[in-house]
Amino acid sequence: MNSDIKVKLFLVDDDAVFLKTLEMEFLQHANFSIETFATGEDCLVALSHKPDAIILDYLLDGIEKNVMNGIEVLDRIKAYDPEIPVIMLSAQDKIEVAVDCMHHKAFDYVVKSETAFFRLQKIIRIIFKYRKMEKTLNWYMERM
Amino acid sequence: MEQFKTERSRYARSLIEASLDPLFTISLEGKITDLNKASTDIIGNTRENIIGTDFFGYFTEPIKAREVYQDVYKNGFVTNSPLTIKDNKLTDVLFNGSVYKDDAGNVLGVVVVARDITEQKRIATKLNEAIVFAELTTDIAEQAKSKAERATLIAENAVKAKQQFLSNMSHEIRTPMNAIVGFTKVLFKTDLTVKQKEYLSAIKMSGDALIVLINDILDLAKVDSGKMTFEKIPFKISLSLSAMIHLFETKIREKNLQVFKEYDNSIPDVLVGDPVRLHQIILNLVDNAVKFTSTGSITVSARLTKEDEENATIEFSVTDTGIGIAENKLTSIFENFQQASSNTSRLYGGTGLGLAIVKNLVEAQGGSIVVKSQIDTGTTFSFTLNFRKTDSLDESEEDIEEFAPGIKNIKVLVVEDILLNQLLMKTLLDDFGFQRDIAENGKIAIEMLIKDDYDIILMDLHMPVMNGFEATGYIRNELNNDIPIIALTADVTTVDLEKCRLVGMNDYIAKPVDDRLLYSKIVSVLKRSVYIKNVTDEATLRDKGTKFSCINLDGLIKRTKSNPVAVLEIIKAYLDQTPPLITAMNNGYKDKDWNKLYSAVHKMIPSFGIMGIKTDYENMAKTVQEYARAPEQANGIYDLVSQLSNVCTNACTELKEEYDRIKKTGL
Repeated sequence: MNSDIKVKLFLVDDDAVFLKTLEMEFLQHANFSIETFATGEDCLVALSHKPDAIILDYLLDGIEKNVMNGIEVLDRIKAYDPEIPVIMLSAQDKIEVAVDCMHHKAFDYVVKSETAFFRLQKIIRIIFKYRKMEKTLNWYMERM
Repeated sequence: MEQFKTERSRYARSLIEASLDPLFTISLEGKITDLNKASTDIIGNTRENIIGTDFFGYFTEPIKAREVYQDVYKNGFVTNSPLTIKDNKLTDVLFNGSVYKDDAGNVLGVVVVARDITEQKRIATKLNEAIVFAELTTDIAEQAKSKAERATLIAENAVKAKQQFLSNMSHEIRTPMNAIVGFTKVLFKTDLTVKQKEYLSAIKMSGDALIVLINDILDLAKVDSGKMTFEKIPFKISLSLSAMIHLFETKIREKNLQVFKEYDNSIPDVLVGDPVRLHQIILNLVDNAVKFTSTGSITVSARLTKEDEENATIEFSVTDTGIGIAENKLTSIFENFQQASSNTSRLYGGTGLGLAIVKNLVEAQGGSIVVKSQIDTGTTFSFTLNFRKTDSLDESEEDIEEFAPGIKNIKVLVVEDILLNQLLMKTLLDDFGFQRDIAENGKIAIEMLIKDDYDIILMDLHMPVMNGFEATGYIRNELNNDIPIIALTADVTTVDLEKCRLVGMNDYIAKPVDDRLLYSKIVSVLKRSVYIKNVTDEATLRDKGTKFSCINLDGLIKRTKSNPVAVLEIIKAYLDQTPPLITAMNNGYKDKDWNKLYSAVHKMIPSFGIMGIKTDYENMAKTVQEYARAPEQANGIYDLVSQLSNVCTNACTELKEEYDRIKKTGL
C-alpha cells in the first residue's frame, strides 16, 4: 500500500448516522479518500471514479421503497467491473444474509456493530495484500 | 179372610224362595221340615228328597252343627256361626238361626239361614295373599335398595380409586420420565456420533410419546369423573389458530403439504373461554389431519355462526385431503382406543385416544362435533363452541419468550429433593446462563432465602421435612417476601394447581420440564416483577431530581478522537434521520405495515450504539424487529414500540441540547 496514493473508498448506506460515523473513522486514518452515497443509484453513477473498494449496505430499500436494494447494486457493480471488491454491511447478524452476499460475489460481510470499523479496516488491508501478491505473481509469471 | 191369609202366605213363600241364601226350617228333632230353592241348589238334591232328612248330616262337622242348633234353642237365636255344607264343592256358610213359636208361644222348630260366603272367603283369601305378596315385595325392594346403595358405594370408591391410581401412576411415571427426557436433551448437546444421535432421538421420541399418552389418559379420566374444569379467560382466537398451525409447520413441510388458514374477520377480537383446551382440541384434529394426509392440503378455519349481545358461536373446522374414513366407522372413531380400522394403528400409529378426548372436551363445554368424510378424498371435522364476549383485553398472552431484554444475571433457588432432578435443573439453568443454588427441602430453602437474595424460586411440591406448599406459605406470610415462586409438579391435577394458587405461587410448570417453557415462564414471571421494580426505581430517580439521560457521547467522542466537527456532523445526521424513522415506526405499527415497522427499526439499531443509548433499548429494538418478521405475534409489542419511540424522542431532545452546547463551547 503506497502511502502517498490514497485508497479510494466508496461508502454506500441509507443510514446517515452510520455513514457519517464510518466516514469519520476512515478519514482519521489519513490514507483514505472517501466518497459517500445514500443510495446505490448514486454509487453506480460514480463508478467511473474508479474506487479501490466499495462498502455497501445490504438493506438500502428499507424506507425508500423504489430504490435498488444492496444485492442489486452489488450485481450492477460486478457487471461493471468484477474486479472491484465489495464488502457488504448489514445490521442483521444472519447466516442467510451472509450467504446471499457471498453468492453474489461480495468480498466479505460485516455486521454493523461497534467493531465494524476495525473489521472493515482489516478486510481492506487484506484486499490490498492479495492484490499486491497477485501483481507480484503475475510479474513473475510474465518473466517465466 | 182365608183368601187373604193364603195370599199372605204365598207372598211370604215367594220372598223366601227368592232369597239367594239357603233357608231351612228344622223340627225339634232336627229333621228338615221345609227349605227354599237356594237350599236345594246348594245341596244338589230335590226338595222332596231333602224334607225329612237329618239336618246335621249336611255339614262337614255334624257335631259342631248340632251344638249350634242347640245354641239356638238355648238362646232363642244364633248369628254368624261358620259351618261348611257338605255339598259337592263344600260351600262355606255363616249359620244364622232363631226359634219360631206358635201363637201360644210354644217352640215349634228353628228357622235357619245359611249365608253362602264362598265369595267373601275367596276375596279374603285373595286379600291375604295380596298382603303376603305385598310384604314380600317390600322385602325384596328393600333388599334391592340396599344392594343398589352398596353398589353405588363400591362404584364411587372404584372411581375414587381409579382417580387416585391414575394420579399416582402419572406421578410415578412422570418423575422418572422427567429424568429420562431431560437427560436425553442434555445428552443431545454433547458430542455424539451420527448413530448415537439416531438412538438418542429414538429415546426422546418414545419418551415424548409416552408423556403425551399419560396426559391423554389423565385427561380422559378427568372428563369421565366430571373433574375437568374449564377456565374462563379472555384470549385471542386468531392468535391461537396461528400458533397451532405454526406448531405443525415443520411436520407439514416435511410431508410437502400445504396449509391454509381461513379466518372469519367478523369474529370478535377477544373472547372468553379456555384457550388451553381449545388448543388441545385443534392440536388433536390437526395432528390427525397431518398424520392421515400424504398429498394435498390441510385447511384450518374459524367461522362466526351466531352472535348476540353477550355470546358468539364459532364453528371451527379442520379439513384434509387424506385417506378418509368409511361411513360405518364415522361414529366409532370417537370412542376410546378406537381407530377407523385395526390397520390404522399399524400403518399410522397412535392410540386412538385423540378423537375421544376431542369429543369429550367439546361436549363438556356445551359444543358439538361432526365429521364428514369420503374415502380417498378427505375428511372434515367441525365443532362449534360458544364463547362469551368481553371488552377486557387479552391479559394472559403467554407466548414462548425468545427474547428478554434486560433479563440477565438471574439468581435462581431450586428447591427439589430428588437428586436426579436437581442435576437436571442445574444443567438447564446453566444452559440459560442463570446462577442457581439448590435446596433439598422447604426448610433449607427458607434458611437460604433469609441469608441470601434470589430473583426467583423453583419449588417442588412434594418433599420431605417441609413441602412446597408449607414453604411457600411461610415465605409469603412469615417472611413477607413476594419473590416470584414457580411450582414444579409432576401431578398436574386441578386440585394441586388450585392449592398452588391459594398458597401464593405465581405459576407452575409440569414435569418433565420443557426447557423452552421453563425459560419462558421464568422470564415472563420475572418481567412482571422487574417491570414493577423499574417503575418504582424510575420514580425514585425522578424524586431525587436526577436528570435522566438516555444518551452517552463518551464513546462517540473517543471514536472521533475528540473532533468536535465530526461529533457535530454525526449528531446532525442523527437529528435529521431519526424523527422520520420514529414516525415511520409508529405508523408501521398503527397500520400493521410490518415491513415498514421492520425497516424503520432496522435502520435505528446501529445508531443506538453510536449515541451510547442503553443496550437494553437496542435489544428491545431487535425484539421489535423479530416480531415484525412474524406478524401474528406482533400485537403484543405495543409497549415496546412506544418505549422505543419515547427513548428516541428523548435522545433527539438531549442531542439537540448537546449539539447546541458543543457548537457554542466545544467538547
